[in-house]
Amino acid sequence: MFYLSLIEHTLRLPPHLLHLPLDEALKTELETLFIDKVIANLGLCISVYDIRSIKGGFVFAGDGASTYTVEFRLLVFRPFTGEVIIAKLKESDANGLRLSLGFFDDIYVPVDQMPNPSRFEAVPNMRNQGRWIWDFGEEEEQSDEPRFVIDGADLIKFRVQNVIYPSIPLEQPENSKPFAPMVITGTLNHDGLGPVSWWEEAEIVEDES
Amino acid sequence: MKIKEANAGALTNSEVLDFLRSRGASKDPTRVIVAIAPSEFKVYDYLLESPACNQTKEQVNEFLTRCKSYKLAKAEVLNIINLRPSALVEIHPIIEESEERFGEKLEELVNLVVEVLPEPPKKNDVPEEENNEVKEDTADGKSTDEDKTETANLEQTDEDQTKQKEDGEQMEVS
Repeated sequence: MFYLSLIEHTLRLPPHLLHLPLDEALKTELETLFIDKVIANLGLCISVYDIRSIKGGFVFAGDGASTYTVEFRLLVFRPFTGEVIIAKLKESDANGLRLSLGFFDDIYVPVDQMPNPSRFEAVPNMRNQGRWIWDFGEEEEQSDEPRFVIDGADLIKFRVQNVIYPSIPLEQPENSKPFAPMVITGTLNHDGLGPVSWWEEAEIVEDES
Repeated sequence: MKIKEANAGALTNSEVLDFLRSRGASKDPTRVIVAIAPSEFKVYDYLLESPACNQTKEQVNEFLTRCKSYKLAKAEVLNIINLRPSALVEIHPIIEESEERFGEKLEELVNLVVEVLPEPPKKNDVPEEENNEVKEDTADGKSTDEDKTETANLEQTDEDQTKQKEDGEQMEVS
């Protein structure tokens, strides 16, 4: 989930920071620049891990600030394909699910990656919202409540299908979702994936048999 | 900006948690004072709820050495450490072609995971005093079961840490 990446960047240290020890000042500047931002094909930057080397310190003509070339390691969030991650349900509509990790929200499970077979039960008044139900097994209708529902009650395990970094659009129509620089597509269509509570029951069954 | 090495090393969730803790992240209300960004705190909160929250470096290293005989891919080892599967059904989505590669040895692997890596604290909806009791029961049960004194000591220091955290939580509530 988390990787270290070695980055080299040339940055300008504003003069008002010159009284601080150099590495602290540079770290603060780097943090302002990188944290909580997505770098394409690298991932979401979480934190500056450490600073490896600082070179430069030149003052260019006409500028009050000094410029440094810093080599440092960034802690990035970049899930790999096939990774299993635990997340919470954020939204559920007819197109699939949207999951959230707290610090990262753009995780989508489209309809074709839902456990097979599944059906969508819309909430009566709202057209797009509702919950997904997994029709597993041939049990007769024991009760009104189906057994395998995806609701916000517990944590959901999903497996990463792929991670894409769409390019920044030039124009966006109004009322569209804010641009997501990093989108993870997940799948629930496998044993052991889906809400954790589904498989806790299965565990007990395994022990008995 | 130049990317010199996009992949300079993978980190387990517990290592990231240790890194954030060493920078000063914690659960209690001193959050505004430490030099940690709110987005880093969100990562910290997420990791605290994952099974990685009470893993120590020694446990992770021990697991790494002991799982070498199973010839797992690096991605699979990382997945296992981060998720701590405690049942066969949980380890299924992690390992590819488990039937061909392992067959029965899969259960041994699950047992190894359960033995080396600590159990994540249970999420209950009950109030916090009951939570404390549940944790102490399981922790005591574990320390009597374990014969190895080293791991027992480690778990006790984990208990202390988790107790401190629980106290922190209670402070917030009251």
